[in-house]
Amino acid sequence: MLAISNLHVAIEDKPILRGLDLNIAAGEVHAVMGPNGSGKSTLAHVLAGREGYQISAGEVLFEGADLLALEPEQRAHKGVFLGMQYPVELPGVNNMMFMRESVNAVRRARGEPELDAVTFISQVRKQASLLELDETLLKRNVNAGFSGGEKKRNEILQMAMLEPKLAILDETDSGLDIDALRVIASGVNALRSPQRSILLITHYQRLLDYIQPDYVHVLVAGRIVRSGDRQLALELEDKGYGWITGEAAA
Amino acid sequence: MIGIEQQRDWAQQLVAASAAELTAVQPDWMSAARAAAVQTLSTLPLLDRKQEAWRYTRIDALLEHRFLPATAAPAVPTTILNSCLLPAFDASRLVFANGRFMPWMSNLHDLPAGVQLCSLREALTTNPEQLATWFGQAVQQPGHVFTALNTALVNDGVYLHIEKGVELEQPIEVIYINQCADAPLLLQPRNLVILEPTAKATLIERFISPDESLYFHNNLSEIALGAGAALSHYRMQDESRSAYHLGSLYLSQQQHSRYHGTSLAFGGRWARTEYNTSFRQEGAECVLNGLYTVGDQQLNDVHLDVRHSVPGCTSREQFKGVLYGKGRAVFDGRILVEKQAQRSDAVLTNDNLVLSRDAEIDTKPQLEIHADDVRCSHGTTVGRLDPQQLFYLRSRGIDALTARNMLCLGFAGEVLDTIDVPVLRELADSRLVSMLGDATVAAE
Repeated sequence: MLAISNLHVAIEDKPILRGLDLNIAAGEVHAVMGPNGSGKSTLAHVLAGREGYQISAGEVLFEGADLLALEPEQRAHKGVFLGMQYPVELPGVNNMMFMRESVNAVRRARGEPELDAVTFISQVRKQASLLELDETLLKRNVNAGFSGGEKKRNEILQMAMLEPKLAILDETDSGLDIDALRVIASGVNALRSPQRSILLITHYQRLLDYIQPDYVHVLVAGRIVRSGDRQLALELEDKGYGWITGEAAA
Repeated sequence: MIGIEQQRDWAQQLVAASAAELTAVQPDWMSAARAAAVQTLSTLPLLDRKQEAWRYTRIDALLEHRFLPATAAPAVPTTILNSCLLPAFDASRLVFANGRFMPWMSNLHDLPAGVQLCSLREALTTNPEQLATWFGQAVQQPGHVFTALNTALVNDGVYLHIEKGVELEQPIEVIYINQCADAPLLLQPRNLVILEPTAKATLIERFISPDESLYFHNNLSEIALGAGAALSHYRMQDESRSAYHLGSLYLSQQQHSRYHGTSLAFGGRWARTEYNTSFRQEGAECVLNGLYTVGDQQLNDVHLDVRHSVPGCTSREQFKGVLYGKGRAVFDGRILVEKQAQRSDAVLTNDNLVLSRDAEIDTKPQLEIHADDVRCSHGTTVGRLDPQQLFYLRSRGIDALTARNMLCLGFAGEVLDTIDVPVLRELADSRLVSMLGDATVAAE
């Protein structure tokens, strides 16, 4: 599904990712963990196509095609979804209208018929109720005045509606209390399927208790320095990042 | 800026060109008001760039044109009129073509008792005493060369008088269709809107030109609201890209009256709207909302003079601008709270979304407060589209252009959401969308 090799990325000439390799097959759930500043969010943004990053070397293949050559919307059409760490507010843009525009833009690009208003609304409502997202939030402007937890639920709602092939969830657990975390995790777990890959980006092990990954990678100073299964995350929790960063530096 | 002699010459030439019109039969008081205005034209301190109100708005190009006062009513084809009407919109309607009332295009049936709605000319014949009582009352300041010119050459306009306690359900729509084939014309409707105590109405004015005509639409409205009266007043200026437009509004509000004004300005080469509001008694409310868009070869100027001269009144001013291409906009909004106007409550904001590098906005909100027990604030922003917001939309599969349009509509939404007439809201939305289409062309 996703093959990243030797990826080098800088922001304003400051190297952030320095030769990152990562392969994710269909249906797998990978977690990338790492200390602050290790390049976790940069990885997420570069995959989704955000501007402002200089890619100096390496390649990213998504289903065998060059992902980095595509505009952000084209990546979404191909099935890449980024759940943001800090979803922005869109003043004056109605949440329901926005999601319908988004879903139909993706459907059009895939040559599928657009969803009519009735079908769309009933699907959104169903998903919103699974995520315990207050329906009044659908009528509000996108993320405007939403709490941290509501913003994250709204992200997962969009993921559910867009049915991506690859979902990148950037610190979806940050700022969530335990109840919200449980609801969001079960929303994500409901979307696990043999055709869908998930890349979890997180600072803490806690999320992985709820969404159990197949693989765990540790990102330090722009490189994956260790990969393993869930045990690696537990070990990290136990020993802290110093255990690995010290080793990496040595 | 163009010299004082030239300004006087320009105005005098227009007065001279209207001489025949001015000698037509008029009541004495009207002739006197005109004569006084002609006199004012020769004594006013004319416009210069040292005056704050005209600092960023040049009138040179305007004064270079030798306008002719429009005298005869033009023949506007029915097809054009029909293209100007809103679909399935029930309203009492007055249509002015080049500033002249067109009875056969208008719809003045079904007005309830207690409502007089007609042209100013007709009111001069049918109700001169009432007209004499109100004419010139709301305009208490000497004004400037253009307002004096409007009075000097007054010949037609809207006359609306609503008796005490009468609430109009159906909106009143005034359409100004402007088109001149040959010489550039001076068009200057003079409107008088009087709501007696507790009367209620919705007034919609639309300024339209079906082609790229060059003219100067110098309109002036006096609006007097009696105690507890309420007027919703919409103005949509969507004129030719060659047109000059000056809309001067003078408001006079009695106790607990409410004025809700919405100004939508899309067209014109040089367009200025002036709101001069005055609270005469306590507890009145004045809300002014506005949206303007400007592109290449366009200047839009909003000028507010909001005076809190009595205690306990509320004013809200919210203006938003979308600028693209080489568009220029000026916002000069002043709220004056006089010493005795305690418990005044005023909020003034001006936000601008600049879509291109070459657009320019000069914005100057001012609060001048002489009372000590007030709640007043003002704020202004000038910004570009937020790249994070654009990325968010695009990452959800929405193409860059649609994403930009969604954000622009969202930005304007705060103003457009205050429009209570659905058909007008739709018109404003679609106008904004087509403007954004233009903006794309301009950006390429």
